[in-house]
Amino acid sequence: MTNTQQQQDGMGKCYVVYVCMLLIYAIELFVTYRHPGAHEFLGTLLILAFIGAALGVLYFMNLASENRNAMIGFAVFTLFVLAAINYGWTDSFRILLGVPYAK
Amino acid sequence: MSHSEVVLEGSGHGHHVPVFEPSPFAVPAKKLAMWLFIISDIMTFAGCLIAYGFLRNAQPDWPRPYQSGTIISVMIMAFIMVTSSLTMVLAVRAARAQRRDEAFRFSMMTLLMGLVFVALHVREWFSMMHQGVTFSKNPWGTGLFGGAYYSITGIELLHVIAALIALVIVGMGYKRGRYTSVDLENCGLFWQFINIVWMFVVPLVYLMNVAG
Repeated sequence: MTNTQQQQDGMGKCYVVYVCMLLIYAIELFVTYRHPGAHEFLGTLLILAFIGAALGVLYFMNLASENRNAMIGFAVFTLFVLAAINYGWTDSFRILLGVPYAK
Repeated sequence: MSHSEVVLEGSGHGHHVPVFEPSPFAVPAKKLAMWLFIISDIMTFAGCLIAYGFLRNAQPDWPRPYQSGTIISVMIMAFIMVTSSLTMVLAVRAARAQRRDEAFRFSMMTLLMGLVFVALHVREWFSMMHQGVTFSKNPWGTGLFGGAYYSITGIELLHVIAALIALVIVGMGYKRGRYTSVDLENCGLFWQFINIVWMFVVPLVYLMNVAG
């Protein structure tokens, strides 16, 4: 396979990602006006956003074609910290619900 | 002897020859620095969005003010942002292939779309201000709404403006031969990161607060 062919194949993937990202926004809009329950709504939006983000990081930021160790290193570190930040959620429920933990 | 220098044995002269350590992960140093910056910036946005979620969850009277006009505007901004990401990918690919004119052309297309994005964003802000939304109060519910809204979208807007300034400098510098394709690629990484952040801002800040 020549370099030009390889580049064109790579671009094909980028166009697919572009269409997928636009589709994700369209689905989010559709879900919004279907007025689902709060948990289902938030869950769906977050899943779609994470899919879009993963596509962007892998193919638009080219992490998929970087060194494998770099990819794993960046992903594990970032996801660990992002997960760790979420420890505060329980406290927001405490503020909302008050007792007994607020005493 | 510094860490970056070794004496090459058997060279016959015994003089110091600088040998640089290989870059970690075999990624160019500038690019690695940009990735580390992006990772730290992810934490900034994650902190803001999680704080926003925290406030929204803890306030029973959180307002849901967005009408369809705002949502259409936000979706146009999303379309512009995704399309500009594609043109940035095309610019980086052209730069890697040393096609300077093409890379410059796509960079400027990205810049143009970024400017339209900023204009729509500022228009959105003025619309909110016109409706009486400030940092501490609004006509609909808890005063925290305005603070959260302006903080998150403001940081996003600040990033877009910074990226546009970088794109002008690096794009033009690349065309003149002052900057390399790695520099343009770094600009591209930052631009893609902003696009990804917008993918979270739209659902969490706008779609979840649609009037209904």
